[in-house]
Amino acid sequence: MLELIQTWAQRPNFIVFVILFLWGVYIMAVHPNLVKKLIGLYIVQTSAVFFLVAFSAKDGATVPVLDAKSAAQAAIDVGAYANPLPHVLTVTAIVVQVATLGVSLALVTGIYRRFGSLDEQEVLEQPE
Amino acid sequence: MSHQLPILLFLLPFIGGVALPLVTAKNRALAQPLTLLIMGLLVVLAAINLSVVLSTGSIHYALGGWAAPIGIAWLDDPLAAVVVLTISGVSLLSLLYGRLVVPSKLRQSTPYYTLILLMLSGLVGIVFAADLFNIFVFLELAALPAYALVGIGGGKALVYAYRYLLLSSFGATLYLLGVGHLYAATGTLNMADLAQRLPSLMTSTAVVGGLSFLFLGLAIKMALLPLHTWLPDAYEKAPSSVAPLLASTITKVAIVAWVRIEYSLITPGVEVSHVPVLVFLEDLGIIAAILGGALALIQTDIKRMFAYGGIGHIGLILIGASLGNSTAFAGAMFYLINDAVMQAALFMLAGALVHYYRAHTLDQLRQASTRSAWLSSVLIIVAISMVGLPPTGGFFGKWNIILGALQEQHYLAAFAVVASTLLTLAYFVKVFAAWFHQPSGHTARAAVVPPSLGFSMGSAAAAMILLGLFSDPVFQFLLASTGA
Repeated sequence: MLELIQTWAQRPNFIVFVILFLWGVYIMAVHPNLVKKLIGLYIVQTSAVFFLVAFSAKDGATVPVLDAKSAAQAAIDVGAYANPLPHVLTVTAIVVQVATLGVSLALVTGIYRRFGSLDEQEVLEQPE
Repeated sequence: MSHQLPILLFLLPFIGGVALPLVTAKNRALAQPLTLLIMGLLVVLAAINLSVVLSTGSIHYALGGWAAPIGIAWLDDPLAAVVVLTISGVSLLSLLYGRLVVPSKLRQSTPYYTLILLMLSGLVGIVFAADLFNIFVFLELAALPAYALVGIGGGKALVYAYRYLLLSSFGATLYLLGVGHLYAATGTLNMADLAQRLPSLMTSTAVVGGLSFLFLGLAIKMALLPLHTWLPDAYEKAPSSVAPLLASTITKVAIVAWVRIEYSLITPGVEVSHVPVLVFLEDLGIIAAILGGALALIQTDIKRMFAYGGIGHIGLILIGASLGNSTAFAGAMFYLINDAVMQAALFMLAGALVHYYRAHTLDQLRQASTRSAWLSSVLIIVAISMVGLPPTGGFFGKWNIILGALQEQHYLAAFAVVASTLLTLAYFVKVFAAWFHQPSGHTARAAVVPPSLGFSMGSAAAAMILLGLFSDPVFQFLLASTGA
């Protein structure tokens, strides 16, 4: 048990990811308010982005751009450069999230205009 | 020129969708004919693509000219070519059908057609993508218009579209987590590279967790049974003109994406803590196939019944794809193509019943009078295909899945296919009882089926019979594509 806690404590980033993820899922599942559900979803999505950033972090790494001089050198120290791919994934994932957020806010606005409420149960109980 | 076909197939609906609001700003009446034109072109291109792939082999497309390990790879193999042709065909039929039953405020609405075209481009992208992250992007590109299309009619549909959005976006996030795990463990996202690096890493918790996240995410998107809850409400409340399009494409494409991942990454015999992965997936398919059919049987709303029927069929396809047997795999893919056509025809039928008889439930259908011969014959053909009797395509798909299950001696899987067939028969008996019930007393006006409706439903029914008649070449071709 102690060993398990020690291994966890060495990875604080991933603990934060797990907490954010579960917190978001909890909000999505429990709150009847549609906007709060959306906030929960957003926290879940943020946790996924956080995860991507967390595992790609490197100590003392720099921007992955090779200039002509360093590229000419035979050996390139991989540890000195950040891995660009997870960051590209992150940016793309954020763009997708923003689009999702836009569509969901449009739907929430439509629901509020039509039914005058944001509570899921209240909305579903109203006649068509 | 022909090696550019995959990107053309994607760009045609994409550029069409983006340009449509600009082109039709002055004249809104143009939106519908232009969309039909683009979709017609897409079907022609997809057919050309299929013939090219058949004659010259798979096309490996490198986006932007960057080769695979660095750039994004697309794979245009026989399976992808057939699925794209199916998707574009059923979309064209759905749109032709939608001309009639579309609510009047949507008929001239440019956003409606834009959304359909954008969704189609996303679907084409998912089928071609040979890169895990690329699939994620296209999943969302296809899903965002789908949410909007479900809610476009307004009213309660907005709430169900919102629920669909929450669940499906959650699924997409799980998928993204899976992509992150696999990248952290292997350092690549290209499926061909992953297939080489994964087998030695199957004991790693990151890989197993990543694959589980991928599966969970896609299972929500494909509405595999315990995760199906968004689907019946969304398809019931979606406008009748949209439901056939959604029902026949979204879930099928999600399962195509999973089948690609499964087929290239999970080899038969792979075990995670002594549980064989494929057998586990097969059991999930069995549960979905039987419970989906049983849930369909207890529905009284016609659209909900068909939606649950579709959920059961996803289970059938998953069974066939997870048996690890090429006969069953080809059978499942053949069934997937059939299912796309059947779901389109079913929801067209349900939409026509609402449109002409105001019949949402079986009881209302029983009250309706004067059956149209067109609708009756389409209903009979769809029922034969859904139940799986020859000469329709549904029979040959199920038959090969059962054959594969028997070869592998997985009798439970064979039983599940038969049980789901019987359940399908049972709920169609309920529909028939309501449809052919002779109403007493008054006779109302006969519903005249207009040509475009008759054409789209007739072609869907004809496609089912043709798929059955020509099942052997199509099946052999799918079988050959699995061996490669």
